[in-house]
This record gives sequence, C-alpha cells and structure tokens, in this order.
Amino acid sequence: MENFKDLLIDPFRKFWAGLVDFLPNLLAMAVIAIGGVLLSWAFRLVLLKAFRALNFDAFCDRMGMTTMLRKANVWTTPSVLVANGVFGFFAVVFSMLGLSALRLQAIDSLSVQFFMYLPRAFSALVILIVGYMAAGFVARTVLIAAVNGGYNYAKLLAEGVRLLVIVMVLAMALEQLQIAPGIVVAAFSIIFGGIVIALAVAFGVGGIDAARKVINRGPEGKAGRDEIEHL
Amino acid sequence: MSDFYQTDIITTLHRLGRPGLERLESELQDFSRQRPLALVLPALYSEFEAEALRGIVEELKKVRYVKEIVLSLGRASDKEFQRAREFMSVIPYDVKIIHNEGRRVKEIYATLERNGLWAGEDGKGRSAWLAYGYIAASGRADVIALHDCDIVTYGREMLARLCYPVVNPNIDVVFCKGFYSRVTDRMHGRVTRLLVTPLIRALQKLIGGHEFLSFLDSFRYPLAGEFCMTTDLAWVNRIPWDWGLEIGMLSEVFRNYSTKRVCQVDISDNYEHKHQPLSNGTGNGGLTRMCVDICKTIFRVLAAEGVVFSDNFFKSLEVGYLRLAEDTMVKYEADATLNGLFYDRHGEAKAVETFVTAIQTASKVVLDNPMGTPLIPSWRRVSSGIPGILDMLRSAVDEDNR
Repeated sequence: MENFKDLLIDPFRKFWAGLVDFLPNLLAMAVIAIGGVLLSWAFRLVLLKAFRALNFDAFCDRMGMTTMLRKANVWTTPSVLVANGVFGFFAVVFSMLGLSALRLQAIDSLSVQFFMYLPRAFSALVILIVGYMAAGFVARTVLIAAVNGGYNYAKLLAEGVRLLVIVMVLAMALEQLQIAPGIVVAAFSIIFGGIVIALAVAFGVGGIDAARKVINRGPEGKAGRDEIEHL
Repeated sequence: MSDFYQTDIITTLHRLGRPGLERLESELQDFSRQRPLALVLPALYSEFEAEALRGIVEELKKVRYVKEIVLSLGRASDKEFQRAREFMSVIPYDVKIIHNEGRRVKEIYATLERNGLWAGEDGKGRSAWLAYGYIAASGRADVIALHDCDIVTYGREMLARLCYPVVNPNIDVVFCKGFYSRVTDRMHGRVTRLLVTPLIRALQKLIGGHEFLSFLDSFRYPLAGEFCMTTDLAWVNRIPWDWGLEIGMLSEVFRNYSTKRVCQVDISDNYEHKHQPLSNGTGNGGLTRMCVDICKTIFRVLAAEGVVFSDNFFKSLEVGYLRLAEDTMVKYEADATLNGLFYDRHGEAKAVETFVTAIQTASKVVLDNPMGTPLIPSWRRVSSGIPGILDMLRSAVDEDNR
C-alpha cells in the first residue's frame, strides 16, 4: 500500500523539485528579457534624440533614402524606422539571451544558431547599403557619360544600369542570408545571363551594321589609326 | 457685351460677338493634344456639402479637353476624403485628390519643414502650390488652370475661355487671368473696387510711374482667383500662402516673364460666389485679415522693387487712399444708379474705413519687418534641396487615390 502511495506522489514530488530547480532560470529569463526590452526602448529613445540632433532625416531626404522608402509605401521617418529596427534587433537579442537562461537544450541550440546568423545578417545589411550607394554612383556615371556621348536614351540607359546593379546586390544579400541560395543563384544566373544574351542579340541583329563596323575595325582599323594624339 | 479697350501693358481678351462654346471646345480638344491641360481645384470639404460644387462637377463631366483634375482637399478627415473621391468619381477622366490632412501628405509637409523649406500654413495658397508640384511630378500636363469651388454661376464656357489663350500655341501667352463683374441686385467685390484699385492709384501718385503698379492696374480684376498658366511658370514662381496669394502671384509673373506674354480674359458675364463678412467681430477675421495680407504683399513687392517706405510715406498714403476711395464710391454710386442697382453708401463707407485700418496695420507690420514675406519656395528650389521630393509627392497622392 505504502509503495502504491509513493507511486502516486512521486511524480508530483519530482515535478515540484524540477519546478523549484527551474524557477530561478525562469526568473532569470524574465529579468533578462523584460530588462532587455526596457533597455532597448531606452536606447531607441536615445538614438532618436541623437538622430534629431544630427538631422539624420534631412540627410536621408537629400540622399534619396526617404524617396526609396516612400516608393515602397513606408511613411514613417527614416530616424523612427532605424530606431525601431535597432529596438527590434536588441529586443530579439535580449529575448534570445533570456531564453538561453532557461538552459533547455533545444532553446540553447536555437540561440547558438541565432547568434551564428547575426554576422550574416550584418554583412547582408552592409551589402545592401553599399550596393545602393554604388548603384547610384554607377547610374550617375553612366548618365553623364551617355549624355556627353550624345546618346538619346541616356536616362533610360542609366536607370537600366541602376536596375542591374540593384538586382545583383539583392542577389548577393539573399545569398549572404542563405535564403534559398540555390534558387537565388539560379534565378540570378538566368536573369543576368538572359539580359546579356538579349543585349548581344539586340546588338548583333538590330545593329548589324554597327557590329560589322566594330569587327572590321580590327587589325586594319588599328593600322590605319591616326597616330596624332591630343595633348 | 463689353467694350474692346486695351490697357497699356497686358493684353485684354474681351467677350465680343458670339464666340461659340462648341468651336472653343473643339479647338481646345485639338490644341490640348500638343499642350495637355490639368485643372487644379483647391477645395475645403465643407464645399462638398454646398450646391456650387455639385454644379461645377456637372459641368466638368461634359468637358473633353482636360487631361486630369487635381483637387487639393483641405480640412477633411479620412472618411470625408473617401466621400470626396466618390463625389468626384462621376467625372469620366483622371481625377486625383490631394488629401492635405492625410498621413502621407502631412509627411511631405514635415519633410519640407525639416529641410528648411516651409510651405506655409494651411490655406488655398499651400493647397494650390502642392497641386502644382504633383502636376510637375506626374509630367502629364503642360498647362495648369485653376478656379475656386464655390462658384454658383459656373459654366464650362468659363473654363474654356480661361484656358484658351494659354493652350492655343498660336497665342504666345504664359499666364492668363480671368475677369468678370460680380453683380446681383448690387455690386460686390468691395476689396477690388474700394481697396486694391484706389490703393494702387494712391501709390502711383506718391511714387510716380512704376512699372509694377501700372502692371497691377492693368488688371480688371486683380483679385480674381481664376487663372491659367504654363507648368514652367508654376515651377519657377514663388507664391504667398496667405490672402496675398493673387497679388503675390501677379508680382512673380511680373518678375519672371515679359508682360507681353500675360493676358486677362473676360470669362463670364456674371460671377457669384460666397461673400465674406467685413469683420468677424475680433477685428482679425473676415475681409480685414484678407486686406491686411493684400496690402502687406503690395508693400513688400514694392520694397523689393526699390521703393523706400517711411512712416511719413504711409501717413500720406492713408490720406491719399481715403480721398481716392471716396471719389471711387461716387463713381460706383453713379454706375449703380444708371443700372438700377441698390447702392449701400453707408456700407461702402464703412468698408473703406476698415480698409484704412488694414493699410495702417499692414504698413506697421512692413516697417517693423520688411523681410517677412510669407512666400512658399518655388518647386525649382524645393526639388534642388530635396531631389526626391517630387517622387515622394507623387507616391503620396497616388497611394491615397489607389
């Protein structure tokens, strides 16, 4: 009878002992998560003040970043967007830290994966920012060169080049984030390859005379070239 | 039928014979293929509840040469904006409504402000200016026409006559202002009749011949809110956001273009819209504030033209103005008597007294702060300061209208 009683009570006793063991972990998680979120919120407010002092929104307006947001139908100010992003990031980091305080194996491995992923996310962000700036720079260079070269469709050409660079940058960022890398590489190869083939075909067929001139210019062209050079 | 007198500086296009609306509209339809036309309608939501706008929309439904209407809506909630969209949906061509109180357009104003480009306070000037920006951004129109939304006697001939001189490429005009008489059983338009014209002439007596004053005096109805202009002009002009809008607009046209390319056109035999009270009792509303703003604009434009103002100058001006205004009243009384109109001599005299006070207030403000012209920067300057602003504006309006 005594044995049966133990059998009944033992699971509850073990559960209670486990709960008592686990409670400090839960408390630690709650403290880290709630404290972290509050800290992140405070950091968000500080960041907003700093952005205001630095005229960050006006800088984004002039650099065309606000325009990009508006075109994507995002109507918050860039400073609020960045501050909210930073807040969200730190809130997630603190939540993950808090979860790791639970010392559960499944959650531990999730936390490790998360923190291992952070450098990738960071480099993808850097790629996007640098790529956006590079796209603007290249498009501007093409526009100036095309206008000076007397091409009629200079703006179209510049926008086309900007689009190509942005497609390339997006593919790089997605590859860095390891989001369906196989599909990204295949899609990028198809799109980029397709564009290059289309341009080659267009030049070869549409501009057959121009292509012939370029080919014929070869060695004779070089031989017959004027030796006088401009100073 | 009017006379055929031409004033000295600008071209006056009269209503002579029977011009024929069908012919005008058919020609406008042809010309508008070369020079597409956008119509700007600054409106408050309260005007959607009045009869005048219903009549205007009925007339605009029949117009075939307007590429798009851009209605700049003020003082409207999101629900009221949707109701305004439904109201305008009967028009069979493109209608875009700018929701000035909407989240997106407010963000556009905030963007301007944080970049040091203040667009002024809420009002007709700012609403119209934003509409010009949207038209420039969309790039669909070469010509912009504007009229108010409270015209009770609106007919589509009014619009056709207003647009024709600018849309017709054979008439080399960049700006055309409408004129008309405002008569019911009496004459209206007190501010033009008893303030602006006598004030301009009093200034001419004191300063001597001045091109800007002669230019202003050439307009039969300088405060008319109906005009038509090229998009280029809307791009370079700075306009005041307050009641000095009409005079400020004329001063910018005078400054930027040859007067040979400016005209006024007789758009209607009669014109009726809402009448403003002389004062709202506080001494700061009604026509009083309007008159102060108009006088300030005139004085500041003249100061910018090199006229030196002093306390004594303004004292002489007040006396000179009062005398000319009294003489003008006598002329209008005779005009009213001949035409069998009621003439409220006492009411007109009270109006002149108010106008003298307005001149005093405006002169004090100008002497204290000659630089305080509340001009909205030109779109050329705005897009130079914030290169993507036109794209932002287009996104805001298009998203609101989706």
